[in-house]
Amino acid sequence: MADPMVAGYAEALFAVAAAEGDPSVVEDELFRFAQALRSDDSLGSTLADTGLPLARRLQVIEDLLGSRASAVSTALVSMVVGAGRTAELPAIVDAMVERGAASRNKTVATVRSAVDLTADQSERLAAAINTRTGRDVEVRVVIDPSVLGGVVTEIGDDIIDGSVRRRLNQLRESFR
Amino acid sequence: MTNRRNRLLAAPLLALLALLAFAGPAAASGESVGSCMAEKLEELIEESHGDLDEVLHELHVDTSIGDHFEKKCVEAPSPILPETNEIIWGGAAFLILFVLMVKKGFPAVKGAMDARAEKIRSDLDAAEQARVDAQSVQSDYEARLADAKTEASRLIDEGRADADQVRTGLITQAEADAAGIRERAASESAAAKAQAIADLRSEVAGIALGAAERVVQASLDAEVQGRLIDAYIDEVAGTDG
Repeated sequence: MADPMVAGYAEALFAVAAAEGDPSVVEDELFRFAQALRSDDSLGSTLADTGLPLARRLQVIEDLLGSRASAVSTALVSMVVGAGRTAELPAIVDAMVERGAASRNKTVATVRSAVDLTADQSERLAAAINTRTGRDVEVRVVIDPSVLGGVVTEIGDDIIDGSVRRRLNQLRESFR
Repeated sequence: MTNRRNRLLAAPLLALLALLAFAGPAAASGESVGSCMAEKLEELIEESHGDLDEVLHELHVDTSIGDHFEKKCVEAPSPILPETNEIIWGGAAFLILFVLMVKKGFPAVKGAMDARAEKIRSDLDAAEQARVDAQSVQSDYEARLADAKTEASRLIDEGRADADQVRTGLITQAEADAAGIRERAASESAAAKAQAIADLRSEVAGIALGAAERVVQASLDAEVQGRLIDAYIDEVAGTDG
């Protein structure tokens, strides 16, 4: 959270989410939207296109999140896009999630998997990480088909890679 | 010199002998018996102071006078011995001539001969000097020629040595270049071979991994994905293995 601007926006988003109730729900919704923004370049370029009227871009956000997320999450995304910070939105959301986890004395564990984890799997994975590292974590799942199978967990600078992709890469290296 | 002097002295002696040899006959042949008789008779008359009777008387009394006249005038002169006056005149002429020859001719001839001899000697000396000079020049020329031959031989040897050195250097350089080329070729060949093997292995690995990935993707249904995630959780928890 080195960028003061990103930190400021993250703090503001977290404060709004906390003021509106359970921030973890908002964090989860914003995290998922940020992952969608990372994986879909056309979505990011559309929301960042200042040539489009702001109302049109806000309508896109409404169409995407209106029925899937809370009104607070939709309003926060609209506020960031309206401020012209669409490109920084994923980093702002990551910082907000970190901020929220920190407020609960936890660390964010970003889990990349080809398929979504069940709630039970997420809880068991959090417990396993706690057992292994001694840290309480909140699991944030990122759907990444390139993983093929298995899971890649990132906790800060630590990475625990149990993906099929890694095994295929190891097999590729062994051929060299 | 002695021979020339002897020849010069022999010339007047030969002239004197010739005069003695031919003076007699010339005197005998130049006076008749009559004139001789007349001359004797005239001398007898002069002795008688012109008295012819006395002369006749004497001739009559003394018959030996006639015999004397006859003996004097009829008898031929000596063919060898000249007349005394001729000997005197000839001897005087000879002496004059000899003195002239000794005083004038001989020194002149001797001077000419000496000059001639001196000239010949100087010519001989000049010729000798010229020969010596020529010999010196020849010696110098031969020495220079020898030096030139030595220098040429040295230059040839040096040139041959330089050529050998250059040739050796070129051969060494060529061998080194050839060795370098062979080494580079072998290295490049080995590198190309290794690269080809690596490329082939990578290609085969890519094909195999592509096929494996497709097989894995096809086999990764929801159940398998769930098992993989569960296995991962167990692995992180340390309960698996």
